[in-house]
Amino acid sequence: MNVHVVGCNHRSASIAVRERLAFSPDQARAALVEFRNRFPDVEAVLLSTCNRIEFYTAAETGACPSVEQVADFLTQFHGQQSGEILPLLYEHRGDEAIRHLFAVASSLDSMVVGEPQIPFQVKQAYQLAVQARAAGPLLHTAFQTALKVARRVASETTIQQRRVSIPSVAVTDFARQIFERFDDKRVLVIGAGEMAEETIRYLRDEGAGDITIVNRSADRAAELARRTGGRTLPWEELPRALVAADVVVSTTGAEEPIMTLDRFEAIEAERGQRPLFILDLAVPRDFDPAIGNRPEVYLYSVDDLRQVCERNRADRDKEMPKARKIVDEETSRFMADWRHRATGTVLQQLRQDWEALKEEELRRLFNRLPQLDERSREEIRQSFHRLLNKLLHPPMESLRDEARHGIPRALLDALSKLFQLKD
Amino acid sequence: MGAWYNGDTSGEELALSGVSIICFAGSYAVALALELTRLLFRSGVRGAIMLGFGVAGVLAHTLYLFYRIVESYRSAGALDAPLSSQREWYLVAAWLLAIVYLYLTCYHAKVPFGLFLLPLVLGLIGVGALVADPRPLAREPASAAWGLVHGSSLLLATVAVLVAFVAGLMYLGQDHRLKTKSATSSGLRFPSLERLQEINSRSLVIALIMMGVGILSGVALNLARPPGQKPLPWNDPVVVATVSLFAWLLLSSLVGLAYRPARKGRKVVYFTLVSFVFLVIALWSVLGNVTQHLGRGAWRSGASAGQPSGLAHRSCIS
Repeated sequence: MNVHVVGCNHRSASIAVRERLAFSPDQARAALVEFRNRFPDVEAVLLSTCNRIEFYTAAETGACPSVEQVADFLTQFHGQQSGEILPLLYEHRGDEAIRHLFAVASSLDSMVVGEPQIPFQVKQAYQLAVQARAAGPLLHTAFQTALKVARRVASETTIQQRRVSIPSVAVTDFARQIFERFDDKRVLVIGAGEMAEETIRYLRDEGAGDITIVNRSADRAAELARRTGGRTLPWEELPRALVAADVVVSTTGAEEPIMTLDRFEAIEAERGQRPLFILDLAVPRDFDPAIGNRPEVYLYSVDDLRQVCERNRADRDKEMPKARKIVDEETSRFMADWRHRATGTVLQQLRQDWEALKEEELRRLFNRLPQLDERSREEIRQSFHRLLNKLLHPPMESLRDEARHGIPRALLDALSKLFQLKD
Repeated sequence: MGAWYNGDTSGEELALSGVSIICFAGSYAVALALELTRLLFRSGVRGAIMLGFGVAGVLAHTLYLFYRIVESYRSAGALDAPLSSQREWYLVAAWLLAIVYLYLTCYHAKVPFGLFLLPLVLGLIGVGALVADPRPLAREPASAAWGLVHGSSLLLATVAVLVAFVAGLMYLGQDHRLKTKSATSSGLRFPSLERLQEINSRSLVIALIMMGVGILSGVALNLARPPGQKPLPWNDPVVVATVSLFAWLLLSSLVGLAYRPARKGRKVVYFTLVSFVFLVIALWSVLGNVTQHLGRGAWRSGASAGQPSGLAHRSCIS
């Protein structure tokens, strides 16, 4: 039995290359069918996310496709130059391939370590391979175990509990300490940059529904509103929007603060001292820091959030050895089980031969001792059965021990020759 | 649990059926100590142990109060009104507050509610065991219903003010943590400002209603006193403090209705802190012997010694 992974990720290939090699779900299904046609004895799962494209293959007998063969397949499928891609691909075999799969599923190999989407993406990739009839029993076991390992890492470490991106920290670590719910809150987004969009996404996840975008360029505001399901207001309406807002996300590229203390104080009374969470993600800042000293105003700048991100990242790093240890343990256990399964045929043959011998001897004995009653016969049967199990136990244990370090081919050969087992 | 400590200097009063004040006070103290360790380090098992001590404390506390009720019916010719002494009033208030603590800790295991609630619980138990009068009131069936309503409603109002006070303190703490950007670095997790304000506001509404019921039933008790019994003066310090607290709660509610900003943020919390001060004054008036409320000098044992009978000896809890 062989298992193999070939692919590229955010460390080995640039985003431009990854974009060229990425598969949509339909493309992935087609690719798996084609891969299976080309390598009929090989099981395959294709994992394609924005940060990695990986082919996992396994074969009961014979070799898995080499890195060159996978590179050829990828380039032909996408119409790329093979020589350009090959140096960017990595490969892992056997234990290392399984360890890699477990680490990927547990989000230890992600660009943002601990990000929660990857176990779901791994599961989807496996399900797609099953639908395309590309995955078989070997990869089924490997992927099911990988998802189990991911759950174990998530429950036994805090690696997925710490947010590390500025918008996620802003929403989950700060906004939720002020507001219990967001579905009744008004969100005001000032500016239409990427950071604003990402923050809106997190606020949407928390239930925010009323989102207003104010930007100097009305077109960009409209475009962001279209993508995020918000509405727009003209730039001149900013003070009025601020009166109504509960959460403000500001990301403009203005060189001077767009909201000075004087301007804020002018509208403060109209707000009725409702709590206001201001997330100033602009550099230089959009809101005068003195506004943060006003009652019921909670103003956070990028620097405030960055400190938390760094701290969370450090906390995650502390958890990495523990998570790696879990992955190593599970890899060793998985490989031992897998290899032990490879010894099953020989052991089964041995047991069958000895069972046949046992039955023959019992028949002969019972023929020679017809006076035995049923109870005595049953006792003798049980005794032979125990004897057989005791004789089989040492070779089984030896095979199990040896299987921890690889398939015990020498031992299996020796057993076959010693006991004249037929294939 | 054995009777490790007999809180009553007079003998057997506090050690009943093997459950003594020290049993549940000790459990709460251990739970508080565990809560305090949140400030020092993280632990995966602390929550379960803390909850275990909290449950043990409430269980022992409940048994203690239950046996007090049984005893009041069984001993001294069934002349005592159940849970009618000052001491028991404090212990019942502590019991209710401990249940609030357990409820909040079950639903918000990571929030250190115990840091704020358990000192109040222990404080009430301490005042009850060491300062409050342990003598029960005489049972008078004619006015028992009014007494029960009066005592129960004021007890619930007290607990509601205490819960509002704790929510208010936590609000100020959370506000400070958010303003100083330390909310995520301390390792302690507080509920959101919105949730704390909600707990605070609801508790104050409950306190206002209960206080109103308590005052009205107190007036009824005073007017419906048996012939020959002295009325409680309307200018008694307890009456003044209780009515002041009620007036304050009513005023803050009316201001909140008329002026929306007064219902938001720290203003509500400041209203609560003043309410707590009124409550402390009312309780101190009773403990400090400056009132005729609760029939000062008219406890059952005192009455049997020929002392004059007062108003609230007819109330069962207050």
